[in-house]
Amino acid sequence: MRLRNPFVMESGVFTTNYRDDMAFHFPVLAKIRVAVILLLLFLLPFFASTYFVSIANLAGIAVIGALGLNILTGFTGQISIGQGAFLGVGAYTAGFITAKLGLPFWLALPAAGFVTALVGAVFGVPSLRLKGLYLAIATLAAQVIIEFVIVHWETVTNGVHGMFLPAPGIFGYALDSDVSYYYLVLTACIIMTVFCFNLFRSRVGRAFIAIRDRDLAAEVMGIDLFRYKIYAFALSSFYVGIAGALWGHYLRIISPEHFTIGVSIQYLAMVIIGGLGSVMGSIYGAVFITLLPIVLRELSGLLANYLPNIEAVILGLKEAVFGITIIVFLIYEPEGLAKIWQNIKDYFKLWPFSY
Amino acid sequence: MFHRLCWLAVLTSLLLVISLAAGCGSSENVREPVKLGGIFDITGATGDVGKPYAEGVQAYVKWINENGGINGRTVQLVDIDYAYKIPQAVEAYKKLVTQEKVPAILGWGTGDTEAMVPFITKDRIPYISGSLSENLLTVENHPYNFMVAASYSDQARVLLRWIKDNAAEENPKVALIYNDTGFGRSPITDAEAFAEKIGVEIVDKEIVDLKALDATSQLLNIQKAGADYAIIQETSNATATILKDAKRLGLDIQFLGLNWTADEISLKLAGEAAEGYIGVVPFAFPFEDVPGMKDVREGFALMGKKPEELTQKHIQGWLSAMIMLEGYKRAGENITGENIKKGLETLNEFTSGDLGAPVSFSASSHRGSSKVKLYQVKNGQWQPITDWIGYQ
Repeated sequence: MRLRNPFVMESGVFTTNYRDDMAFHFPVLAKIRVAVILLLLFLLPFFASTYFVSIANLAGIAVIGALGLNILTGFTGQISIGQGAFLGVGAYTAGFITAKLGLPFWLALPAAGFVTALVGAVFGVPSLRLKGLYLAIATLAAQVIIEFVIVHWETVTNGVHGMFLPAPGIFGYALDSDVSYYYLVLTACIIMTVFCFNLFRSRVGRAFIAIRDRDLAAEVMGIDLFRYKIYAFALSSFYVGIAGALWGHYLRIISPEHFTIGVSIQYLAMVIIGGLGSVMGSIYGAVFITLLPIVLRELSGLLANYLPNIEAVILGLKEAVFGITIIVFLIYEPEGLAKIWQNIKDYFKLWPFSY
Repeated sequence: MFHRLCWLAVLTSLLLVISLAAGCGSSENVREPVKLGGIFDITGATGDVGKPYAEGVQAYVKWINENGGINGRTVQLVDIDYAYKIPQAVEAYKKLVTQEKVPAILGWGTGDTEAMVPFITKDRIPYISGSLSENLLTVENHPYNFMVAASYSDQARVLLRWIKDNAAEENPKVALIYNDTGFGRSPITDAEAFAEKIGVEIVDKEIVDLKALDATSQLLNIQKAGADYAIIQETSNATATILKDAKRLGLDIQFLGLNWTADEISLKLAGEAAEGYIGVVPFAFPFEDVPGMKDVREGFALMGKKPEELTQKHIQGWLSAMIMLEGYKRAGENITGENIKKGLETLNEFTSGDLGAPVSFSASSHRGSSKVKLYQVKNGQWQPITDWIGYQ
């Protein structure tokens, strides 16, 4: 039983037993907000164009990958620049199961997660001894090794020829259009996000955060560093594997060129811009990085009506803008978009007396 | 617990109510003007060669609009820079097809062209790309991909055939130098099989990275293996590295390279070391006075470009656009992806004024040509040493 006055904003959390104390505390307004957002997301294809839905698909897949990287980098403090390759492990595992073994996608999806988790855990082993830059290089090795394996293990991956994947189906209905795939991605996104939120209320999640904040102190508190670091790598890779499987089956074709180090960097940018150590930040970051080139392009197209030669200039600036965005975020708001959004909310919550 | 069940119930029920209103947008008949999609790399990793390719396409579209358009309709090029990133290419594709409703697309790289294959097959979008990967030529799997020049595999075969025909020895010894990417490995297995068939001995295979600044050890291996010829499948930078190192080591090996190794850039970078180097050239150089070059110069003049600014990649873009729009012409009044495909498949020995080899497509083969010209660097200048030759 929670005490609540329905007519005022909540000023605190009041609970009368331990069970409630450990539960989520969503104010009514927040519940309504989440419900409305979810409803809007599910109804999106009915009022948005197919093109918009396709962007949403790309963003959704990126969200899952970014969540995975954030678990590792943002919450556990272990840097990884092997995301692109882990994405590949997920995509190829799922692809092998659906295309070569002919088994259903619904089996391939979790399998992709688990296999990637295993591979991620193996490449996480050096994290016991290596920190910071050294670990970055070790994960870079993962990127290189996995790319090499994908290119050369031709019986499984078809090497450089790539692999065609079937569209996932449900009750005989193929999810091969943007709209139908959107629901798959959205559902996966929601489940993964909710899991992620809950993770950091659990012992494992708290242990991750403790390791990030100070590994020695965490060990003194009885956290088995090695075990939890491996957990972090495995869990993060599980997410990335799921993202890879979804990405592969969305494109319906995979080849080694899809999983290069450029992809890894892009994901790192997502979590840095979104906010390290923030679940919502991963989502904001993934959406932001997906939309950035599109918005810049549309903007240049719009400006081109007034200033004919601006298009070429802005095109040239695109990569620069990408880099500048990251630098600006690192300097002015290292906690990313999530923190900016929080600041905005706080401002209005406390307005006009912000002290 | 109840909450959790509630969640699950909501999620699953919503998943089940998946909208069937997903009739995906195949290209509609576009009223005037006709549209042509472009997915180019202007600012990305391959922008150095991707930009002239894009300019070639733009110039051709400008030129044809000045000269009456396609069946009296102007052509509107809707092009997007994808910066050599596959997710951005997919997004660009979706924009072109679902929003702009283009009936056909000109693309660029190997990875992204492959990524498009299931989409273009489903949406029936004819696709010509800058990539010449043999993979794209299986018509069953790639019914909407068309290739306007010899694939990498065909180029390698032509080189092997040329070596066989011109070598003093009975079984000439050849080494292959390539990079360990999809692009680099693309022709290797086909080349080995063909070499065995015609009696050329592949004595060594060496991997040189695309960004390599040193190829000494690989070259010494080739020398040790006793190769008289070496075929290079790289891009301009690595080619220049190889040629310069070979000159420094004083190797007596005839180097030959596929189309991405044989352009103005590799010549400039390698300098004197390029002398005698033989390259596969599927598209004419802008300085050549072939019949089609007059239009090219006119077209680029419309863009404000002088003839001496042009490179071979400009010609490739021009030619790709020319062939695609020839498909538009033959599609007749109702320009849809399917009709363009049918139109393209009627192309028979289509000559582009010698800008490229004569191109033929049919319903069972989208291999535009397997012929190329070989050029050799003489006095610091690319000069043709053969006409369009094949490997038969």
